[in-house]
Amino acid sequence: MNGSRGIVFYLAIGAVFGYVLSRSGAADYNFIQGMFLLEEFQLYGIIGTAVVVTAPGLWLIKRYGKTASGAPIVIEKKPGHRGNLYGGILFGVGWSITGMCPGPVLVNIGEGKLYAIAALAGVLVGAGAFGSLYPRLQGVFRLPPLAQGTGEG
Amino acid sequence: MNLILNNAEPFHWAVGGAVIGLITLTLLYVGNRRLGVSTGFENLCAVVVNVPYFQRPAVRESNGWRIPLLAGMLVGGFISALTTGGWEPFWDLGMFDAEIGWGAPGKVVWMFLGGVLIGFGTRLAGGCTSGHGIFGLSNLEVPSMVSTVAFMAAGLVTTNLIYRVIL
Repeated sequence: MNGSRGIVFYLAIGAVFGYVLSRSGAADYNFIQGMFLLEEFQLYGIIGTAVVVTAPGLWLIKRYGKTASGAPIVIEKKPGHRGNLYGGILFGVGWSITGMCPGPVLVNIGEGKLYAIAALAGVLVGAGAFGSLYPRLQGVFRLPPLAQGTGEG
Repeated sequence: MNLILNNAEPFHWAVGGAVIGLITLTLLYVGNRRLGVSTGFENLCAVVVNVPYFQRPAVRESNGWRIPLLAGMLVGGFISALTTGGWEPFWDLGMFDAEIGWGAPGKVVWMFLGGVLIGFGTRLAGGCTSGHGIFGLSNLEVPSMVSTVAFMAAGLVTTNLIYRVIL
């Protein structure tokens, strides 16, 4: 879906996604710490249910092979490289520190949490540094060619 | 436990998870897109950081959907505040306030540092909770399993260090 209809569609999908993350506790500092302290089941339940719903649906859509408008389904698999592990570790530390993963950084700003603006500034500096250093990081982490990148998503 | 936001009662986890799953499937079936939030930060970086990594076609060609998706998430948080008692800017940070107790300047530094790790880490990993944790796991992709175990384990260790060892 492209053009202005696409913009409205993705904006709406993002809004529903953001609303649900907010209302279910996925964008809440206490629920994130509770998950990592193994004291709150909430986030495990959310992620687990999301996978349990997505996996069979994804299998069916792939089997059907077409989108709603009849175009062939294209799913680009993420490449494997050392960054999956080391980047995951860095992200996990950041998730614990802020109580936010990437979506909830934005959701928290929308909710009015002022400190989340500082988190977004940090995210953009971190991502900006990563992109700028890509040619140097490529060898260290055996990353894919620049044109492909580390994985979309 | 209630949310920090307006002390609202959270949705049941099964409701939250099911809706997120349906969003993921809708995005694929209607939009032919795989769910993923953190790549959108590359699209935002591309506006000001003029390096080859951000100017590659994969980033430029996805502006039309990733930027509205990210903007929509801001709107979703805003609507959530409006419908649970009203929107107003605030600094409350739940157990951080109760146990660490830093004021606004300390929170800004803390959040900025955490944010740098999120931005650098998710882009190095090639995905985050949505792209690896939900879509990648559902699609049985090995790199996503590696990343998901890594960020869950690192978060577990970090939070336990902060709240059980240091404090």
